[in-house]
Amino acid sequence: MPPRAGLTRRTILQTAAAAATAPVVIRPASAAADPIKVGMPLALTGPVGSVGGQLRRACEFWAKQVNAKGGLLGGRPIQLLIEDTGGNPATTVRKAQEMVERDGVRLLTAIAASNEALATVPKLAEWDAIFVSGDNGDGRLTGESLVPNFFRPNVSGPMGTRTVALWLRDSSLKSFYALGMDYAWGHNSIDVFKDEVKKAGRNFIGDVYSPMGTKDFSTYITKIRQSGADAVYLVLSGDDYNAFLSQAKQYRLGDKVTMLTELVDEMVLQATGDASLGLVGGSRYPNTLDNPQNKAFVAAWKAEYGREPYMFEGDQYQSCVVMQAGIEKAGSIEAAKLRAALEGLTVNSIKGPITIRACDHQAEQPGFVVKVEKDETGKPVPKVIATYPAAKVTPPCNKMTYND
Amino acid sequence: MPLLLLVVAALLAAAPLVLPVFVLTLLTEALILGLFAMSLDLMVGYTRLISFGHAAAYGLGAYGAGYILLHSATPLPLAILAASLFAGVVAVGVAWVCTMATGVSFSMLTLAFAQLLFAIAFKWTSVTGASDGLAGIPRRAGPFGLTVFETKVGYYELALFCLGVAYVFCRALVNAPFGAVLRGIRENEAKMLSLGYNTRLYKIAVVAISFALGGLAGALYSPFAGFANTDLVYWLFSGQVLIMVIVGGQGTLLGPILGAAFFMLVQQVLSKWTESWALFFGLIFIGFVMFAPEGIWGLLSRWRVRA
Repeated sequence: MPPRAGLTRRTILQTAAAAATAPVVIRPASAAADPIKVGMPLALTGPVGSVGGQLRRACEFWAKQVNAKGGLLGGRPIQLLIEDTGGNPATTVRKAQEMVERDGVRLLTAIAASNEALATVPKLAEWDAIFVSGDNGDGRLTGESLVPNFFRPNVSGPMGTRTVALWLRDSSLKSFYALGMDYAWGHNSIDVFKDEVKKAGRNFIGDVYSPMGTKDFSTYITKIRQSGADAVYLVLSGDDYNAFLSQAKQYRLGDKVTMLTELVDEMVLQATGDASLGLVGGSRYPNTLDNPQNKAFVAAWKAEYGREPYMFEGDQYQSCVVMQAGIEKAGSIEAAKLRAALEGLTVNSIKGPITIRACDHQAEQPGFVVKVEKDETGKPVPKVIATYPAAKVTPPCNKMTYND
Repeated sequence: MPLLLLVVAALLAAAPLVLPVFVLTLLTEALILGLFAMSLDLMVGYTRLISFGHAAAYGLGAYGAGYILLHSATPLPLAILAASLFAGVVAVGVAWVCTMATGVSFSMLTLAFAQLLFAIAFKWTSVTGASDGLAGIPRRAGPFGLTVFETKVGYYELALFCLGVAYVFCRALVNAPFGAVLRGIRENEAKMLSLGYNTRLYKIAVVAISFALGGLAGALYSPFAGFANTDLVYWLFSGQVLIMVIVGGQGTLLGPILGAAFFMLVQQVLSKWTESWALFFGLIFIGFVMFAPEGIWGLLSRWRVRA
């Protein structure tokens, strides 16, 4: 390890003067209390940029809350280091590495896309850093790709699908069709869904895949209608999702077919308005949860941002709170101590008590199914229509599939 | 001139002694990109074969090395060498097709080939990991229990060594009669043909060499980053390396290396200030094309002559 302080480093920092004074990096005002640095290499631009924006807001909100109460570990303030990765995994790894090597970061969070997270986790041991996921859904992160320094307090992709599947078993829907984006995520999700439909003893009619960036979904909508299915499972994101929903509304697809999806994200409701009415899907965090911690959180959030928190904001905030509880229990941010503190830790936060399993670092937590309906003001909002307990939603250790 | 180069090389080799580790990481990447840009210069600067698909070479090397390291116990240097050769061999076939055309059509064919490769990388989940890419590519020890390349400094020196050897090779190549033929093709291909040179064979050869060296750069990159994904074969990257060559100074070998370092530095600095850094880099690029078409290397040599 070369010296972290001293003349050499300073000279080099000065040569790269512009680089060292990034506007988004909040530098400490005084050197008295050594800040706890949290690295956030996240996509603020590109396809997952809107999710990245939510994660960033949640972390900033959390850091402000903690710092207003005097920081952690006897007055150490939280310092967020935020850099845009554009959703490119190679950039994510490079920026994270810079944060570790240049700024001495030992905590990472809010890496937006799953492929970015998958690229980052093999490096954690080398960096001696802990990565607390805020939204990464890929099942492999707590399965075959699990590393000791990775933790997932948020709901995973398989847990989201599972929640919807449990709801299926209780529903009266008989036959299903699926539409997914034509790449790994679309195919994987639909494979899992197919399996669940069969387990529920229902009929899976067929599936179709649209290339990324599809603008005209009319042929797909026709196929869905002609299939005669009761419901269609959608695995779409971003502009494709918005385009599909608006066109589905024009074709009045929702009148005949129930539209199901893995996640109902408020950003999509914002973008598509009434076109999203009737959509049924999982939610990682519905902001209407009835517990004191959540009520306090929503009130404080509204005071800060003038609206209710979105799904990813809530889930990322919970991850920050879990990280905070771990740091306080460990009395340190050293990877070994923090890891030991987080394993098996129970935190009572906005979703009620959740426990980080020691075996695969996944948080056991309930699953929520929501349906998009109009609220009193006529605005489309997700309303919780079913809740399933953690024991049914969380997969067996290191697994992405369920036994029943 | 060679003396100055030797001094610079020696300074670079000694750099890990004083540089903090994060600067070393950046420098390693700059060396790898420099090698990549230099490999394209053989085609663009010396033969006037404008390729819009050079990312294909990088991608072949990166995925090749990544696949070998993930699925076999091959030592790191051998894996890198094998991936580089793989890129060169594939290039023979590519060049055979692409050189059926000349000028813009040649460029379009290279672009088409690179996009084809991109599509394959995006779809062939079992080999390339599709949109997730290949993650956790190890820097394996060996051969003979050599562990030096597992360390940051060792890997930096390996990249520097590869760049050095590749530079000496390219310099010898362009100074040899082979290089004279390439320059002849650049200036007047019809004349070279009438002189009795089978220019197509020469073009295929230079594309293969260029791809092998570009593949070497890619093969160095994936174990360095521990990661390879479709961005490495995307047309955007092909455009960026072309910009590195032009900004650095085409037909100079050393210029593109500087161009790559410059590109990285500007990207690094600008992306901290603004999310639309590419816009500003575009302006810089336009400035170079209009006011300094000979690139950074041209500016440097002009300044050296005056001094």
